[in-house]
Amino acid sequence: MLANLMKYEIKGTARLFIPLYLALLLFALLNRIINPFGMIESSENFNLQVMFSIISITVYFILIVGIFVMTLIIMIQRFYKNLLGDEGYLMFTLPVKSWQHIVSKLLVSMLWTILSFIMAICSILILVDSDNLFKEIRQLISRFTDIFGSAGFFTLPYYALLSLTTGILMIYAAIALGHLFSKHKLMASFGMYCVLYVIYQVVMVLFILVFGKKIFTPVLSSPIPTPSDINTLVFSFSIPTILIMAANFILTNYILQKKLNLE
Amino acid sequence: MSNILECKNVTKVFGAKAALRDVTLNIPRGKIVGLLGPNASGKSTFIKLCNDLLTPTSGEILIDGKKPGVDTKKIVSYLPERNYLNDWMRVSDIIGLFRDFYTDFNEEKAYDMLKRLDINPKDKLKTMSKGTKEKVQLILVMSREAQLYMLDEPIGGVDPAARDYILDTILSNYNENATIIISTHLISDIEKILDEVVFIKEGKIVLTKTVDEIREESGKSVDSLFREVFKC
Repeated sequence: MLANLMKYEIKGTARLFIPLYLALLLFALLNRIINPFGMIESSENFNLQVMFSIISITVYFILIVGIFVMTLIIMIQRFYKNLLGDEGYLMFTLPVKSWQHIVSKLLVSMLWTILSFIMAICSILILVDSDNLFKEIRQLISRFTDIFGSAGFFTLPYYALLSLTTGILMIYAAIALGHLFSKHKLMASFGMYCVLYVIYQVVMVLFILVFGKKIFTPVLSSPIPTPSDINTLVFSFSIPTILIMAANFILTNYILQKKLNLE
Repeated sequence: MSNILECKNVTKVFGAKAALRDVTLNIPRGKIVGLLGPNASGKSTFIKLCNDLLTPTSGEILIDGKKPGVDTKKIVSYLPERNYLNDWMRVSDIIGLFRDFYTDFNEEKAYDMLKRLDINPKDKLKTMSKGTKEKVQLILVMSREAQLYMLDEPIGGVDPAARDYILDTILSNYNENATIIISTHLISDIEKILDEVVFIKEGKIVLTKTVDEIREESGKSVDSLFREVFKC
């Protein structure tokens, strides 16, 4: 059933994302071909070509920013409209558990967020001169292994995914809490997000106050911290994050299960 | 178990207002039951509670002996009083969704009914009128071979001609062990198909009788009895 829910969630969102991704890649390609930066540099006065170049660059940047804004908006809108709006009448009478609704929406949101990053990177790869780029990337990777060691290829994506999951679940919990209000539900959701965010920060500060000495001493005491010191630090910080993530999930699930009150 | 639905002392309170007060009700299998009451009398709240869209403040609801949840959703086919269809979908997409989630969904039946009502399965829901969307929803709901159908205002928004077809559809599309609960205030239109009626007023059940009992005891139609009970 989870697979079925995800299938329809992907169907419902792909129609919005795919055209955006295609537009981004197309404009990256267009910018590569007409080389607007070179055009602006080489022309001596303002002419039609320069104007066209500026427009082309601007559209590309708007698309990059737009894709991330859209990813966030669609994430919020799918949860709010599909579960707590009129469509909720269908979703919540399907024979599935409420946690499956949350997990399906979460996983699909994560998928699009990651894809949006990949698309942004792809568009940059299309846009720039690739010979130099691969040299730079190789340098970047070697710098990265110096600091994090090869374990960093696991710990950093792990922490990034954890933070992403926590961030999305916090948005879901805020929307679910906001839905408990009888009026101004969206405003209330925004307020609730602020409250949850402050709680998250407080938990983090408390964590540092209590365990800080233990965690930071090895990193700070050595002139150059070893990769394993840094990885331990990342792992330590994942503990309070996991707690917050679990709390947001349980809270959202509880509201959907017991406090659901569709309009 | 002879009763498909059992309701014991169910109360639902919203803030300071009680939408349902101490409702106790048993509904047997194989009946068509009218849940009748004026606007805001608690009809929709009752149906939502049975569908796990609301949780009772106190009391218990059992459907086929089970509390509302995943197991009851498999055997209850619910038509809400609003449009719940995703606008971007085609009719064929939503039929696919019903097929994927409900094992009792009869796809052939759905396509057959669409054809008879001249609805093109390839049409997008966005382009459809309100009445057509209501027909699509009713077709979806009645194409399930469920044990309990709960129809909340199923004929409110459609024209009288389609109303007759819809009532025929309801009658010809359920097996005799299934129960249908229809909530409405348009009584005269559905009176002829009802076996039993439940009158609900300000969150309380005021009368539960079979239609035959009403006719024998008072010599009145359900419609005129309703007008009497709910006289303003």
